[in-house]
Amino acid sequence: MRGFMRFLILGLVLLGLAIPAYAKKKVVIAGSTTVLPIAQKAAEIFMNNKGEADISVRGGGSGVGIASLIDGTCDIADSSRPIKDTELDKAVANGRSPKAHVIAMDGICVVVHPNNPIVELTKKQIKDIYTGKISNWKQVGGPDQKIVVVSRDTASGTFEAFGELVLKGERVRADALMQASNQAVVSTVSKTPAAIGYVGLGYLTSSVKAVEVDGVKPSKENVLTGKYPIARPLFMYTDGNPKGLVKEFIDFILSQEGQKLVEEQGFVGLK
Amino acid sequence: MKRFLAIIVLAGSVVLSFGRGFCFAGEIDILLQKLVEKGILTPGEAQQIATETKEQVKKEIAEGKYSSLPAWVQNTKLKGDFRLRYQYDHAKKLSATTPTDRHRGRIRLRLGLESKVNEKLLVGVGLATGLNDGSADASRSTNVSFSDSSSKKSLSLDYAFAQYSPVSWATLIGGKFKNPIWEPGDMLWDTDINPEGGALKLSKKISSNTELFMNTGILVIDEISNKDSDPTMYAVQPGIVQQLTEAISLKAAFSYYGFSGVKGKKLDGTAGTNSKTSADKLIYNYKNIMPAIELGIKEPLKALRLNIPYLALFCEYVKNIDSAVKDDNAGYMIGFKLGAEKIKKWADWQLRYNYARYAKDAFLDILPDSDRYGGKTGVKAHEIMFDWGLGENTWLGIDYYYGEQLKGNFGSNQSKPASVVQIDWNMKF
Repeated sequence: MRGFMRFLILGLVLLGLAIPAYAKKKVVIAGSTTVLPIAQKAAEIFMNNKGEADISVRGGGSGVGIASLIDGTCDIADSSRPIKDTELDKAVANGRSPKAHVIAMDGICVVVHPNNPIVELTKKQIKDIYTGKISNWKQVGGPDQKIVVVSRDTASGTFEAFGELVLKGERVRADALMQASNQAVVSTVSKTPAAIGYVGLGYLTSSVKAVEVDGVKPSKENVLTGKYPIARPLFMYTDGNPKGLVKEFIDFILSQEGQKLVEEQGFVGLK
Repeated sequence: MKRFLAIIVLAGSVVLSFGRGFCFAGEIDILLQKLVEKGILTPGEAQQIATETKEQVKKEIAEGKYSSLPAWVQNTKLKGDFRLRYQYDHAKKLSATTPTDRHRGRIRLRLGLESKVNEKLLVGVGLATGLNDGSADASRSTNVSFSDSSSKKSLSLDYAFAQYSPVSWATLIGGKFKNPIWEPGDMLWDTDINPEGGALKLSKKISSNTELFMNTGILVIDEISNKDSDPTMYAVQPGIVQQLTEAISLKAAFSYYGFSGVKGKKLDGTAGTNSKTSADKLIYNYKNIMPAIELGIKEPLKALRLNIPYLALFCEYVKNIDSAVKDDNAGYMIGFKLGAEKIKKWADWQLRYNYARYAKDAFLDILPDSDRYGGKTGVKAHEIMFDWGLGENTWLGIDYYYGEQLKGNFGSNQSKPASVVQIDWNMKF
């Protein structure tokens, strides 16, 4: 019993000493890997501008971020999708009130080699190309040439968005060339006449040709107005209306400076 | 100012539209489009307002739905699970009377209820199938076998506790409750044991990547009316959870278990393998230290383009440091978990393995997993499990144990190998 009491007291003392040392107010951000680069860059600049701010950013996925917000272990949940009804029910039952803040749009362009005569594809055709049902350009009105499918690697947020918006849960064909960055996709497609790839709107260059999807050009305006079909809003959720440092951080992301950072990360800014 | 005016107009339209159901979302889109055309809003602002308004409406519906429920429903959660099991036990035939093979159909049903008394106080009650006869299975198993001409099966109180959380980092629990002591495997504690007594759990995030915790408990093992020193366990477990990188996390703890009133007693539920007198009374007292560590890695084989979501590696060590126990006083378990972190849907899978080896007086034989060599101490055993998701909240599991008695622990040079196969269909609700 005496041994037990010694351990108990020692543990309590250590915990008691540790808590005040770290009591400085912080902002914890967790969630979507797609939103992660925006949150990281914004946190870096925000902390530089505001010396006393301590913002920690981690990924884990949208579900993890929202679960953390519900559990009260993060202040801001990054999410590349709207909160689900089941998550909302759980949040409300836990006394939380998730408030959505749209901080950017994620628009994905489908690109081909500049010499490829194809100017338009439907979303269904793009899905069939990426899942292997269509394997030759002549099946979509192009030359008799085997299609070289270029994709982002499975860890990327762009891959996740493309899978969700276009592939609808189906897998990319096994022989697709998986690239580690948007720039690598652009580079591969620009050097491969029969290639097709996809990149975030912010990474589009003149070395590749962006095709229209369902008759809509991939442009900032079409993404923002919701006309372009391969686009989605990106969110930061807070528990109720943000206050203090959390509010300052959200306001910073939605400012001209913050939205410029959004575009630098390859996403579509709201301004 | 433009945005402020737009929000005022939209808020008005939302209010006016409530009486006409939820068709206003489309009307808001039209209105926003007009405001963009007139140059009052940018397309980005319109998109932001439209999406945020839809999210706000969703939230208000959820809050409305929730607040319309009776208070006791809002404060109460019901849960349960059912498991259908085929079990095959095989032991090496050591004598003419030793049973070597046994086939059993078994079920497990657990029903639980948790209700908030107020924001800081919670009461939990659980019922479960299982025996209530003082045998080794009484505390360590919730299975009942198909037997006795379709007899009715017992449903017993599995847990009943009050939990008080005066602050977010401290929780006091009293009653019969889920084990407050963390263990990555089940070397020391059968997961079916719900100890009785009181516990204090402390945990505090000290940075975004670090959490300190301490679990303590005074757990009553037995109450003997004519004795003033009832068998009691005291446990203290300081530990840490550290997020090392985005993908790698570490949990480690050091536990100390002290016991009083154990020496000279015959405990209910004993597996009969601790050192004991000819009258079946424990010769030694027990005082255990137990360090344990678990490393979790998300997408461990990403570099090889293999989509395996999670890998956990763990090890734990136990030693009875009571000075009177000179030999056969230590044990360890090592293991891994590979696959989905949790089985949630069709085709989620999880492979788990552990190897345990613990001497007869490493710790009390009323505690370890009852499926591993009958819940005895003085054993070494492998366990391999595979779970396959059949859909939401339901999965199939196969569990295989192979165990042997540690030679010399019981003055015997026979290893007496035994194996158990369990095929389970699990359902949670």
